[in-house]
Amino acid sequence: MDEKKRSIDKAAIEMFNILDKRGYDNIWDRLEAQKPQCGYGELGVCCRICSMGPCRINPYGEEPTLGVCGADADTIVARNLVRMIAAGASAHSDHGRKPAIILKEISENKIKDYHIKDTDKLIGVAKKLNLYKEGDSYLELAAKISDCALKCYGKQDEEPISFLKAYMPKNRFKKLENIAESIEKDSGMSVGFLPRNIDRESVDILHRTHMGTDHNPLTLIVQGLRCALADGWGGSLIATELQDILFGTPHKREINANLGVLDEEFVNIIVHGHEPILSEKMVEKSMDKALIDYAKSKGAKGINVVGMCCTGNEVLMRQGIPVAGNELHQELAIMTGAVEAVTVDVQCIYPSLGKLSECFHTKFISTSEQAHFPGSLHIQFKENRANEVAEKIIKVAIDNYLFRNKHKVYIPDVKSKATVGFSVEGILEILGGTLDPLINAIKSGQILGVAAIVGCNNPKITQDYFHINLTKKLLEKNILVVGTGCWAIAAAKGSLMDMDYLNNLNVPLKEVCKSLNIPPVLHFGSCVDCSRLLVLLSALAETLNVDIDKLPVVGSAPEWSTEKAVAIGSYFVASGVPVHLWPMPPIFGAPKVIEILTKGAKELVGGYFFVDGDIDKTVETMEGIILERRNALGLNVPEYIRG
Amino acid sequence: MKRIFIDYEKCVACKACEIACAIEHHPDKSVLSLVGDKKAHSNVKVIAVENINFASSCRHCDPAYCVDACPSGALKRDRFMNAVIVDPYMCKACAMCAMVCPFDAITFKKTYNSPFGRDHAVKCDFCIERIKIGLNPACVDACKTKALVFTDSESFVKSKEKADLKSFLVGHSKEPANVKLFKELKKEML
Repeated sequence: MDEKKRSIDKAAIEMFNILDKRGYDNIWDRLEAQKPQCGYGELGVCCRICSMGPCRINPYGEEPTLGVCGADADTIVARNLVRMIAAGASAHSDHGRKPAIILKEISENKIKDYHIKDTDKLIGVAKKLNLYKEGDSYLELAAKISDCALKCYGKQDEEPISFLKAYMPKNRFKKLENIAESIEKDSGMSVGFLPRNIDRESVDILHRTHMGTDHNPLTLIVQGLRCALADGWGGSLIATELQDILFGTPHKREINANLGVLDEEFVNIIVHGHEPILSEKMVEKSMDKALIDYAKSKGAKGINVVGMCCTGNEVLMRQGIPVAGNELHQELAIMTGAVEAVTVDVQCIYPSLGKLSECFHTKFISTSEQAHFPGSLHIQFKENRANEVAEKIIKVAIDNYLFRNKHKVYIPDVKSKATVGFSVEGILEILGGTLDPLINAIKSGQILGVAAIVGCNNPKITQDYFHINLTKKLLEKNILVVGTGCWAIAAAKGSLMDMDYLNNLNVPLKEVCKSLNIPPVLHFGSCVDCSRLLVLLSALAETLNVDIDKLPVVGSAPEWSTEKAVAIGSYFVASGVPVHLWPMPPIFGAPKVIEILTKGAKELVGGYFFVDGDIDKTVETMEGIILERRNALGLNVPEYIRG
Repeated sequence: MKRIFIDYEKCVACKACEIACAIEHHPDKSVLSLVGDKKAHSNVKVIAVENINFASSCRHCDPAYCVDACPSGALKRDRFMNAVIVDPYMCKACAMCAMVCPFDAITFKKTYNSPFGRDHAVKCDFCIERIKIGLNPACVDACKTKALVFTDSESFVKSKEKADLKSFLVGHSKEPANVKLFKELKKEML
């Protein structure tokens, strides 16, 4: 494949020379080998739910138009889509369960390896949840918060979960209640948007998509949105808030990003995946003098822990650990030949890493009881022996340093400076304790609006091309860009988070950012940290006393690849934010589903999806949405646009 | 004379034809036997050029370049269907046929028909045994979008003629709107 088609990342392009010369198996070749990919799957009209199938619908309107059970294209596509949401929401929410359990065990004195690091956040969350009582000890607060969080996963009544109740702006809450009521009034069908229990909403989807249950694309999609809301305002939010309590709320800091953060003279350890629970310990242990001395005894200068994907984002946000790359960098990082260990937890880890690491000395170490890979060395992580496990993994990496083949080492000298670490608390601190400066800047047109972009890479799209160019063009339209996940790493690698990038801008946003000393592109963390964006939107909406669907904000998931991205996009839509998607989601075989997601949703919840592969047109649509919403709020079109 | 025609605009690249062909040409006639069996082979291959998918196999040309080029007389014409078929015993795997084939429809490998366990030319045999008992070729039966049709050329051309004219003269779309949208978006992926 042409290198310009694979990636625009400078380090990646350098690595392609090595990849092509030595012929390592890689994701781009595997995609080529899969082509042409099955059109039924691309259109979403393939059903494998029961053993009367597999069935597929003829997209050209001829026979077969029904599956064996009688399901039509709309039912099949809607069922497949909401199953994607259930899987994505489950991945995020199951992640959130772990810090909740750790916090509970801390409060019960059952775990020694973890502590409450951020007591301000602990108190803040307790206050938000209305659990704070003067005189409560930290451990009592931890008990109350973890209990409240775990109840969101386990309670069996019909009430909305308490995290959502506490964090969602009241206008949105009411609106979602009202829509459900009006659907019931008009159609006689009982539906709900407000999640009752995080796990239950996924189980509900698995139930209603079982053969012979729900066949109405509307009720299926409404349940999909409810499940997605259980992710955004439930599982993901719990993950973010409780991890902040355990590991500290992020604040602005500077890091380096890209493969150049690997250091030839150090023992290089990559932490990859999504959770900070083990990786925080790895970072902590890498500073342990005894272990550093041990590394030195093997001839290295020290231990260099770097991040990748969202585990990378977690430790970058809280500890300022450099990040080696986003999703499509994972194979390339091993190909540098300078990585002693890739330690992984869960999600977005290619199973190809096992075979690839056999070409090098690299140890591919799996740690989660939920994630196993061919060719990995499994070192089981247990929360109650976290220190011991982290130490063991670091020792394996140090011992492995001696086996590094110097002739195979090539680290591209490419890294970019990035100012990162934005949380809502951090933003408030920068703004002087209130959102007013941001709101005033939006009102006056100094900032036109806000675009929230979330990640993934996808080999079907040139790596980072859509991320970087979309972001640049939004900035040129004077739109502040915030976001998470692999997009955030792309923006960091692409120098868009470098303070110097402000000099390239010629819009009023530049002055706002300069005066606040922030970059124009804000890194809000890992993909579960999209919940921070919801919290920010919530704060804006509450301050202005409007619903989120009135705010001049718009979302995008360019280069998306995972089911988690579908869940994130869906909870933004259900929260009232229009969301751009690229590449195409597997829904185009079903006219009714397209109609509901792109038009019906707008009328119902205020948010909706749009699909576009053209960057200029996407920017135009996004700007149009922001202008339309500004107009509805009675905000003037700024002079520089009219002129 | 009936032929397999390809309405390439309808091919969704599901590869059901490839699997059906491989089953038909396997002695066990079962999809399970294909798994991991290196002797299994499909005589049709779905290829993609830009955003067009095409289930490509032998066109059974007459006269055929491959038959003319074969030095050992392994490629023959079948009397029943006028199909070009391979005699694995006569084939020397010299690949002359593959080099001259304008459709790249001939490959070489060891199959269950290999004499002396060696490679031989492998190509579409038109499923003659199925046709003799009144069935369609396996690939045609497997195609659920009717991208593959087994018919005589006159009726194929006639129906195509009508559809093309309708689309040209009155702008009648051959595709539902959602499929059209899908195809337009897919072009942007290239």
